[in-house]
Amino acid sequence: MTKVSNQPAVLRVENLNLSYGDYEVLSEVTFEVKDGSCLVVMGGSGCGKSTLLKSLVGLLEPAGGDIFFGSNNLWSSSLKEREAVLRGFGVLFQGGALWSSMNLIENVSLPLETYTELSDPEIALVAEYKLGLVGLSGYEEFYPSQLSGGMKKRAGLARAMALDPKILFFDEPSAGLDPLSSRRLDDLINELKESLGITFVVVSHELASIFEIADDSIFLDSKTKTLLEQASPTWLLENSDHDHVRSFLSRGSFT
Amino acid sequence: MSDNASLIKKQEEASPRCVRLQREDDDCLVFLQGNWSLESAEVRFAHAEWKRFLTANPTVSSFRFSAIELKEWDSAIIVFLNQCRHDLTELNKDFDTSHLPRGIVRLLSLSLGIRPGKPRSEFTLNSSIDYLETEIVQFRDRVLGVAAFFGEWISGFVSALIGRSGMRVRDLFGVCRSCGASALPIVTLISFLTGLTMAFVGSVQLEKFNAKIYVADLVCLAMVREMGALMVAIVMAGRTGAAFAAELGSMKLNEEIDSLRTFGISPMQFLVLPRTMGLLLMIPLLTLYADVVGILGGLTVGTQVMGFSVMHYFEQTQTALGGIWEVYSGLVKSLVFGLIIGLVGCYKGLASGKDSASLGRSVTSAVVTSVTLIVVADALFEIAFSYLDLR
Repeated sequence: MTKVSNQPAVLRVENLNLSYGDYEVLSEVTFEVKDGSCLVVMGGSGCGKSTLLKSLVGLLEPAGGDIFFGSNNLWSSSLKEREAVLRGFGVLFQGGALWSSMNLIENVSLPLETYTELSDPEIALVAEYKLGLVGLSGYEEFYPSQLSGGMKKRAGLARAMALDPKILFFDEPSAGLDPLSSRRLDDLINELKESLGITFVVVSHELASIFEIADDSIFLDSKTKTLLEQASPTWLLENSDHDHVRSFLSRGSFT
Repeated sequence: MSDNASLIKKQEEASPRCVRLQREDDDCLVFLQGNWSLESAEVRFAHAEWKRFLTANPTVSSFRFSAIELKEWDSAIIVFLNQCRHDLTELNKDFDTSHLPRGIVRLLSLSLGIRPGKPRSEFTLNSSIDYLETEIVQFRDRVLGVAAFFGEWISGFVSALIGRSGMRVRDLFGVCRSCGASALPIVTLISFLTGLTMAFVGSVQLEKFNAKIYVADLVCLAMVREMGALMVAIVMAGRTGAAFAAELGSMKLNEEIDSLRTFGISPMQFLVLPRTMGLLLMIPLLTLYADVVGILGGLTVGTQVMGFSVMHYFEQTQTALGGIWEVYSGLVKSLVFGLIIGLVGCYKGLASGKDSASLGRSVTSAVVTSVTLIVVADALFEIAFSYLDLR
């Protein structure tokens, strides 16, 4: 595999403006994500990280600007085209957002039933394989309410990967997890990125996790309501022009 | 009012004072003394005393706080001092805490950002026009939202009828079971008692005219035309409508609806259609069942209390029923009631906010709205039937 920086961009965001009604959350956000890399969206609480993610996965229409996946413009295409584009995504919400009325195997099977022509036994095989990938073999019949927080996130990851997505969006993987579970999840992300070539877009403000998984990162600032910088976190820690960014990445020890 | 004031005064005199103000020319020494605790009553009077002193001595320009006689303290003292600081800053006077213990001073400086009391928004013409405007906009958005929901449902319903929707038949069966078969016990009880009650009430009146056998007519017609559909609808609104709103609302709360959308699975097709269609299939059957059970309730009174034979009662019921239209009219009503319950329940669930309080409001509102709409629709049906000579 060639180096990440030489890869083409799979996701391009141009001059994106996001707002809730009259309240502006982010403005003039421009960045791109290279194929097969892991981009971390960083920033303090309330800077619009999750809002940006919502807009990238088609849940929140931007007030302005464009989001391109390959050559498809996400928000200016028709509903049908958008749904087709969205099918190439996997999204993992903060709490896992598993469908609580279904057990794990049904959760993973539903996207497969909806979009593939596979027979029921074939679907079960695929779903079992996906659950195995995230280390949840043997938990097929469990319901989300019977699982721990870390297991829910891993199950959510299995479901997000059900349709072999090109891009996985991940909202706060480490939130609410103990250090070991959080580390295991980071390892899983790295492994999936390398073995399956999936591109990751991860929202996070856990430093340990950021340095572990990120090839590239963008920093959103809540004061200026825009993107401050894009580079790998290790580079930013050493060379960023913004004190705020270096201070964030060193947990305030840079002053 | 004056009683209350004198009571406070008495209490004040009885309890040990925890603040003592001592004037020295233009300065004032404020002694914080005794035990300051959020639980103790005397702290309540400290601020009153402070305010009294401030108004009585407007010339004092500097206040020095001392804690030499202070024993134990907690947040109560910080809250009091914050209030004092606020008052003194407003009056442009000195607030001197240099003699207070370090712990208190540090907590005070940490809480510097707090502004005691929010300014109350004043009523002006402009603010009320703004308020009216937001209300109108919100109302318009709600109306548009309901219209969009209904439109989407109709298109989903049509595509389900021609077999081109994403609805899973398995889900439809699940809903049929939970809102059909599982509702049988309560529907049985309610409709049996309805028939029984009507028979008792009717028998008293009809006895006066020596026409007791017409109890069979009364019970049969009332059940079939009206009470069967209405009672089933009200039971289902409380049972199934509330369940729909709660299920969808908690799915929304849990981001489950969002995750469906990200898979390109429409909540309308996947969640709303099976629920509404299941209810639409089940509610006429339940109504028919309620009609029969209600008539049996009447029969129980007719045979056991009034002394008619079973055959006699049945024959009378049969003549009363006249045409099959009587039954159909109840079933048509029940279909409309079912549609109301299903759509209102699902809409309220999906429109619920992302906090637990709004989930509770959605469920309540789903039941209240559907019961109201059911009664209104029922009245409209009766008016229409009578004008169209269908009775």
